[in-house]
Amino acid sequence: MNAIVEARALRKTFGDFQVLNNIDLNIPLGSITGLIGPNGAGKTTTLKALIGLCDVDGELTVAGRDPRESRHKLMEDVCFIADVGILPKWLRVNQIIDYVEAVHPRFDRSKAEKFLATTDIPAKKRIKELSKGMVTQLHLALVMAIDVKLLVLDEPTLGLDIIYRKEFYDRLLNDYFDGERTIIISTHQVEEIETLLSQLIFINRGEIVLDSQMSELADHYAEVVVDTANLAQADALQPIHKRKLLGKYAYTYEGVAKDKLQELGEVLVPSVSDLFVAKLKEERNEQL
Amino acid sequence: MNNFDLRRYRAMLKREVLEHPTLFFGAPVLEALLIVLILAWLQTFVPLEEKRLAVEYMAVLFNGLSPTDMAPIFMLLAIPFVASLYISAIVYLTNSLYQDRRDTSVLFWQSMPVSNLQTVLSKIVTIGVVVPLIYMGTLAIMYCIGAIWLTVMGLSYEVEVAGLGYMFMAALTSLALVYLSTVVASLWLLPTVGWLLLFSAFAKRTPLLWAIGAFILLGLIEGFVFNTQYLANWVESRSDPSGYLILSFGSVFDRLFTYDMLFGIAVGSILITGAVYMRRFID
Repeated sequence: MNAIVEARALRKTFGDFQVLNNIDLNIPLGSITGLIGPNGAGKTTTLKALIGLCDVDGELTVAGRDPRESRHKLMEDVCFIADVGILPKWLRVNQIIDYVEAVHPRFDRSKAEKFLATTDIPAKKRIKELSKGMVTQLHLALVMAIDVKLLVLDEPTLGLDIIYRKEFYDRLLNDYFDGERTIIISTHQVEEIETLLSQLIFINRGEIVLDSQMSELADHYAEVVVDTANLAQADALQPIHKRKLLGKYAYTYEGVAKDKLQELGEVLVPSVSDLFVAKLKEERNEQL
Repeated sequence: MNNFDLRRYRAMLKREVLEHPTLFFGAPVLEALLIVLILAWLQTFVPLEEKRLAVEYMAVLFNGLSPTDMAPIFMLLAIPFVASLYISAIVYLTNSLYQDRRDTSVLFWQSMPVSNLQTVLSKIVTIGVVVPLIYMGTLAIMYCIGAIWLTVMGLSYEVEVAGLGYMFMAALTSLALVYLSTVVASLWLLPTVGWLLLFSAFAKRTPLLWAIGAFILLGLIEGFVFNTQYLANWVESRSDPSGYLILSFGSVFDRLFTYDMLFGIAVGSILITGAVYMRRFID
């Protein structure tokens, strides 16, 4: 499958602090990739590097271009939504539509207006007068009306209530994603996006700690709910993480054969959030 | 340049004007309104006969005179407006690449297919070409109000008002000269424009203080290390209006193609390139 993002050995430092440490990325066309990591892991720096807003060392190609050399050309093929605060507050809704229509060759005004007609956003209101949820809806309306290859979302629903968050992802999946476009999402609210994802990347302390297709997760990772009688046997198989679960223990394993695990208890596919915690704790334990 | 490019540039300029309605519209309109109201109030203290004589004097004085020849006299009337235009320019330029970084909307602007060079140039064209046009437009409206007022007064006093028409034409012609002067001044002062933009793109806070502080520091370093004051002298020479003042339409090219002008444009261009580079990465 063709890659829309290819990165080799991306590095970035702020003073003595290594923000990105030899990151490799390969994001295929038509995928929905989740970039998951704790605060300060390097998610935003990675996403900014992809759209040319941050200088990094290493090889980087996005939609066939080096973002460091031609950001404005790249932005004809890539859209970006950061958290809800980035639309200019002094513009009116109709003015921002006018602006995007005038500067973006792939913007379809009728699509944006059709989307906005389904919301309560008044065309004449200033953006500073809109609620956080409405600002996100407006930004989504603008982005969905632009025909691009790649959409980069950095914590797009931060600070929104559950209704707006759910609507955001529903519209993204139903009205925008067509299997040919690519979406990269960075978020803390892992549970809300895990059903959308086709690729999962965990990043911690500037390093990729997991990069897997969602369809392959079940082949490599397993969670077993172990009875107390089998704990010694479960420990012997070297879990990457274990946690208490209603009087029993849930063990997470990486690369252990399913038939061995079935002897310990019920074998499940770990949720993305559980796997995230497991991988981060595993990494922390390795460093101790 | 195709139609789309033209539309894009127009939208970029419109965005700049929309962002600063108070600075670009409020200031000149308020100034014009104050002047009109003060003059209207003052004229109530003048006896009718003296008013009639004043209107008659103006009508006779300007009757038949060439508006182009008389225009420089009326340029003096624009001085308060030009002063407020310069203050607006300093405020605008120091904030133009700083404010959107402060409120994080820079991420939105940078997500559009507009280059940093286009963005920075749009700021320069806005303050050097578009805003002076708004100021001159406001002055033109003020002159129209004045002309109507004088004409009505002249007709009511049975004065021959044809000369007032010549005066009005001279006043409007002066606006064209003032406008050309401000456009040429923006080139003459391009090093200042570039310096302010550079610190607007660089400073994490208070860009104006940075710009002034860095300049004073450079001057002090020059004084201590080389015991010279070229920098201060150069600034003084740049402040001389003779470098950009256009008193007749024929002198535009004389102002544009001087060594000092071209050297200033070169220095300004280097500083503007620095601002474009600073704008590249927002971290």
